[in-house]
Amino acid sequence: MADDVNCREASRLLSLGFDRRLSATELEALAWHMERCRMCRDFESQLRFIHQAAERFRSGD
Amino acid sequence: MTHPRFAEIESHRPYLLRYALSQLRDGELAEEAVQEALLAALESVGTFAGKSSLRTWLTSILRYKVVDLQRRAGAERSRFEREDAPDYDDEAWLDELFDETGHWRQAPGAWGDPEAALEQSRFWQAFEGCLARLPSTASRVFFKREVLGEETDAICRDEGISASNCWVILHRARLGLRACLEKSWFERQAPVGR
Repeated sequence: MADDVNCREASRLLSLGFDRRLSATELEALAWHMERCRMCRDFESQLRFIHQAAERFRSGD
Repeated sequence: MTHPRFAEIESHRPYLLRYALSQLRDGELAEEAVQEALLAALESVGTFAGKSSLRTWLTSILRYKVVDLQRRAGAERSRFEREDAPDYDDEAWLDELFDETGHWRQAPGAWGDPEAALEQSRFWQAFEGCLARLPSTASRVFFKREVLGEETDAICRDEGISASNCWVILHRARLGLRACLEKSWFERQAPVGR
């Protein structure tokens, strides 16, 4: 199952990683996919940006 | 004990009350929403570094208090339930973003140098607009989680939903925000470089 992560599942795990600690299996599956998928790497940096923007939004900057 | 920024925050009360009244149409509820928003603001104002947008920040906190109160009071209950129902089953919605094999139907676009956007006030209007355009539960849960930094456990408890529903909603909110920001902001920026 570790090899079966597609973009849809990867996007779910990437989001989940902001809300709880991912298991070793989840991390491994995600890493496998991320290494091979440019689109999901772009998506990941965009999620990080949104996270950063939300923090700035709170601080009212 | 008076908070050092108490007066500054208090000075926005009349405006906030007008806003709450326009949303709740009930003086008592509006007072309550403003009171709760101001208390929440005083608690986290230490992290507030902005100058010009204190009112915007206060309004965004108030907006979520208003929605909470509407929910608690059961006002417009049926409307909210209808609107919120799809949040719990986002499979169909995900099908719009991913094909049968689980690949992106449309690749996430190039955002150039997104950090630069943080310095532009128009970006924050786009950000707020995108937050507001999410389904109401998704918007509220995302706001609590990412903007207010609340723990997922506490959010689930308040919302009366399971942790896995919470995660599903947050996933949806992030995908929705991402798509909306891309459309309403990043695609409209001039190409990087000259």
